[in-house]
Amino acid sequence: MTFAAVTGKLLEGFGVTCTIFILTLILAIPLGLIISFGSMSRLAPLRWLTKTLVWIIRGTPLMLQVIIVFYGPGLIFGWASFPRIQAVLIAFVINYAAYFSEIYRSGIESIPKGQYEAGQVLGMTRTQIFFRVILLQVVKRIVPPMSNEIITLVKDTSLARVIAVREIIMEAEAFIKLEAIIWPLFYSGAFYLLFCGILTLLFGYIERKLSYFKV
Amino acid sequence: MAILEVRGIKKCFDGAWVLNGIDFSLEKGESLAIIGSSGSGKTTLLRCLNFLEIADGGTISVGGEVIFDGDNPSSFTEREIRRKRLHFGLVFQSFNLFPQYTALKNVTLAGELLARERPDYKENRKAILAEIDQNARALLEQVGLSDKLDFYPHQLSGGQQQRVAIARALAQGPDILCFDEPTSALDPELTGEVLRVIRGLADKKTTMVIVTHEMQFAREVSDKVLFIDNGVVVEYGTPEEIFVHPKESRTKQFLERYSGN
Repeated sequence: MTFAAVTGKLLEGFGVTCTIFILTLILAIPLGLIISFGSMSRLAPLRWLTKTLVWIIRGTPLMLQVIIVFYGPGLIFGWASFPRIQAVLIAFVINYAAYFSEIYRSGIESIPKGQYEAGQVLGMTRTQIFFRVILLQVVKRIVPPMSNEIITLVKDTSLARVIAVREIIMEAEAFIKLEAIIWPLFYSGAFYLLFCGILTLLFGYIERKLSYFKV
Repeated sequence: MAILEVRGIKKCFDGAWVLNGIDFSLEKGESLAIIGSSGSGKTTLLRCLNFLEIADGGTISVGGEVIFDGDNPSSFTEREIRRKRLHFGLVFQSFNLFPQYTALKNVTLAGELLARERPDYKENRKAILAEIDQNARALLEQVGLSDKLDFYPHQLSGGQQQRVAIARALAQGPDILCFDEPTSALDPELTGEVLRVIRGLADKKTTMVIVTHEMQFAREVSDKVLFIDNGVVVEYGTPEEIFVHPKESRTKQFLERYSGN
């Protein structure tokens, strides 16, 4: 098996890995904000409902959630099941949005009340206070925990193989069965290392960009 | 006519009456010092004036217009409360500057946002923003910080931060400027510069309500003094009447504790 052929196959799998990673991030980041508003709502039933949802999502394995989203609709309701990649995305987005929502909540709740009050007495609206005063302070505070979560997401994408989505590890493992060679697995690990390395640099850059003020 | 007229203000937290019928009035250009021990309700009174708390009874009038009526409190929309708040400025004990903005931007931000609601904003945007900017620079100069315009709050000392906060409150052109223990979070070394700024405002006949523990300062700067204890006004009068000839024994007792040091 040539290095080029293995690289080609692994790149195919890495494409799937990146697709899951990027789409999950794009959708889970805003969804998490909506969920965090739910868990901080003044309406007790909404708060209770959101917290229960977050408890279930964070309290069960992501692998289990992927399997249920894929097989559940067909076996429970007799519906057509989602295409595999969609099932993976649905499970990932909900799962990561739940984790993100808790990071957002802790960030928002850590901003001193005085910041809101200062905005209020100056005649600012609630929306202006949130977007002009609070948000950037929250962003600064949540960059470290979000970096952690996002780097975990890179590696969690490998769970997609549980419903036979051909991400990079599944592609690499295939070479064991077909060719009895193990080095493609190590090679796949290098992809993850490189990807996470780039992300680490990116988050470091964002942290430095936000270091011009202190909260 | 009094610019500020407060009648029977009450506030209850969890069944405890923190304010139990506070009356006072303030003429334009006067400054009122509110003194009293911790927990007497001074800060709550200021917060009620600024609608950070909604009082449970009483009325607040500014320039003859009733802006708060405890018998009819539920009728306030956020928009109305915002408009009423602009009668007052508030300087907090803990400054509460916005950390991500420079000193100058802290002073201009709210004005810029408010200007967007003006009907002529679109045509005159540049002129309006320039005026806000100029006003802010003048105010920062007034508080002695024209060399710190581009500094972020964490680069400033506590006294400088509090002076920015004073400029920020003045920028909205309030009828009455309120101070909530403006020097309590400062090192003794830094209180002087903040008190000097407030004294300057008093000399310029700025209408002010100052909650303070600095008795000497209250005596020198204020036109009226209000001594509050347990949510009621114990004594109200000129600094001379309160500090030199207090009538109530509770006032004497309170002042004795302070004159000791």
